[in-house]
Amino acid sequence: MPTDMPALSQLDVAGTLLALLGETTTEPRPDDRLEALTLAVAADLPVLLWGEPGIGKTAALTQLATSLGLPLTTVIASVHEPSDFSGLPVVGDDPAEQGVPMAPPDWAVRLVRAGRGLLFLDELSTAPPAVQAALLRLVLERRIGALHLPPGVRIVAAANPRSSAADGWELSPPLANRFVHLQWTHDHDVVVRGLGGTWPRATLPRLDPQALPAAVDFARRAVCGFLTTRPPLVHRLPSGETRRGGAWPSPRSWDMTLRLLAFATAAGSSREVLSLLVRGTVGDGPGLELLAALDRMELPDPEALLRDPAGAELPERGDQRQAVLDGIVSAVNRRPEKSRWDAAWTIMARALETGAPDLVVVPATALAALRRDEWDVPATIERLAGVVDLSRRADRAAEGAGDRAGVPAGARP
Amino acid sequence: MSAGAPGALDRDKLYTARLHAARVRPYLATALFALHTVESRQVPTMAVDRYWRVYVSAGFVDRTPVRDLAGVWVHEVSHLLRDHHRRGDRAARLQGLEGPGARLRINIAADLEINDDVFGHGLVRPAGAVTPQHLGLSGGELMEDYLHQFGLGPRTQALVWLDCGSGADGMERAWDLGADGAHGLSAHEQDAVRFRVAQGINGRPGSAPKGWKRWAEEAFHPPQAWRELLGAAVRSAASGAGAGEDYSYGRPSRRSAGLPGIVLPSLRRRPPRVSVVIDTSGSVSDAELGSALLEVAAIAQAVGGRRDLVTVVPCDAAARIVHPLCEGEGIPLLGGGGTDLRAGFAKALQAGPPPDVIVVLTDGQTAWPAVRPPCRTVVGRFTRPVALRWNEDDPHYRPDRTPAWARVVEIGSGAGR
Repeated sequence: MPTDMPALSQLDVAGTLLALLGETTTEPRPDDRLEALTLAVAADLPVLLWGEPGIGKTAALTQLATSLGLPLTTVIASVHEPSDFSGLPVVGDDPAEQGVPMAPPDWAVRLVRAGRGLLFLDELSTAPPAVQAALLRLVLERRIGALHLPPGVRIVAAANPRSSAADGWELSPPLANRFVHLQWTHDHDVVVRGLGGTWPRATLPRLDPQALPAAVDFARRAVCGFLTTRPPLVHRLPSGETRRGGAWPSPRSWDMTLRLLAFATAAGSSREVLSLLVRGTVGDGPGLELLAALDRMELPDPEALLRDPAGAELPERGDQRQAVLDGIVSAVNRRPEKSRWDAAWTIMARALETGAPDLVVVPATALAALRRDEWDVPATIERLAGVVDLSRRADRAAEGAGDRAGVPAGARP
Repeated sequence: MSAGAPGALDRDKLYTARLHAARVRPYLATALFALHTVESRQVPTMAVDRYWRVYVSAGFVDRTPVRDLAGVWVHEVSHLLRDHHRRGDRAARLQGLEGPGARLRINIAADLEINDDVFGHGLVRPAGAVTPQHLGLSGGELMEDYLHQFGLGPRTQALVWLDCGSGADGMERAWDLGADGAHGLSAHEQDAVRFRVAQGINGRPGSAPKGWKRWAEEAFHPPQAWRELLGAAVRSAASGAGAGEDYSYGRPSRRSAGLPGIVLPSLRRRPPRVSVVIDTSGSVSDAELGSALLEVAAIAQAVGGRRDLVTVVPCDAAARIVHPLCEGEGIPLLGGGGTDLRAGFAKALQAGPPPDVIVVLTDGQTAWPAVRPPCRTVVGRFTRPVALRWNEDDPHYRPDRTPAWARVVEIGSGAGR
């Protein structure tokens, strides 16, 4: 009898359906961008997420706040007035005598009272210029009205790329220089699987307390060593319309890079993560150059190889191997001695035995040119006969190529 | 490793060819040496995967002369440097291309992009390499452009054996070792190699052909569509302080009711006045000019401007296209100025209330005002084909031509990509 049943209201049924839809699980999935975001937040640097609306920036922030154990405060910048960030004037008894205090909004008071938290400034790009100006002070000086944000509060902002921003807001170079820029795009697989009920759960990096001093030392060595050899990269304002609003190198952003490098090293993060962070801080070009310098730092030291040529371990990758061999030749060139020259030939022979011969040709030719009249040719050179032959065959190919250039292939046997 | 054994890969010959390739294309040496060689019996010739491995058929090396092999090395490494697998994936997704036939078309289009400019100057085109001429197409275009221009048919019948691997078109092959296999390059390592090659080309201008120079310039800064750039520049100029939507003390805020005695600013909209100065010197096509002008008008309206606040200051040469366009769109027209752009600026600044933004559409071959005008200036500069430029050696950068106070957007470059 339907009348006996307690009448289930349609809203209750809807509630049950919503609860069912809300039941999702998570699965572990490595996520380089989330790891980069976590490291930058841990390093207390303001992060700016660039991404189209609706691709899960807020979801990523929620996950980050949960995993860091920080309460999340979201402020939609575009629906606020400048006074919400610079403080609302409160009139007392005698404004002329006592001044007008600027009262902070309630969320800021709660944030300061908690002493820690993740402040997410969403929709920066659709806020009017005056609101953005007020927000600048919040991001740069960490002040809201008379309140000062405690050190335990971390700031993340989000903006839409220029192509999809309705008001075309863009960062001025000084402001862009203070953010770590991370591009946020959606991953097709993640979205489809998430809609099916399984969202990814990223394993977040853990800083190793034992590794901290070494990490700082490594970061300082890397950045200082790199900037010593590339002075023009210390400060370079962005030029050109396409590069506006992005990351660019300056002493400030290099300091941020150093900090991120130390954090990534202490967390044992991969090069991919480091690449996102470094390129997001000083820009693509300088960032890639620094990363290349890091790669070179990991290559064996030519002097060490020359001291122990018999036990020389050469890198597997061809381009790195050639860089090492070139380094050895220039080391011998810097301090030409018979013993070092001989040691270099031993390494060339080893390189020939353990890898592709064509890599050895150029360094071996350069090494041969370094010979002094009084130096005898070492016996190891015999083992490099194959290289000479290879080189000669390549020469022959070059001679033949000239007359055939541009002729349709297959015209000759 | 012995060259004489039948069926064994003649590594010496293969590496001789690589050495030759690295000698005639020194700027590609890093990339060539970064490739990891894998012998495979399944590959018809040579193929690459997206992790920078090159799969080589021993038989192919045996029957191919060293000179041709060198060309194949450069061809295969070009697929990787030009990111064909990711671009192929994108093209397939955007155009709904599926299946081996579609991937073959992507592979052929990628091959056309490479083969039309990498050979010559000491490097021979290998036998069987497909060129735009073979398919009756004109050269010098990108993979995405070629993709629309041919279908699989009698002309491509001879190419069905062609297979440059997953590095060329994005589709996994049976022989691929995959992401977990040894000696692959990670995304960061690939970027690093690509960056070093681009640096080598940019650092020694003159030694690389035009196609590679263009690649090196765009490798890490792909060109953006000019519409977006021009839109962002005009919007940002029109919504800056003093124009557009912002807080103003001219009227009290609604919140003031709760705070007697305090004046709070309120959000006001003052529509920006935009003046479009057009200087064409007769060399800008009507279509180009029309689309740029419409774009500016649309943007000005989007940031709150009204049609009556957009004025157009035409120079004489452009009058024939500007007049009908403005009449049709209801844009008020100021009388024609001289052919000198400085006159155009003066005319625009004379107007009733002065404009907040001046947008100049020009081909750049003109004189500029000596002092900064008292409003924001955006320059949309039409890029001319190389043949029409007066400086062929330095086709992209003329820092002394446009004044530093203007924001310059190149119109007609990188559109639709």
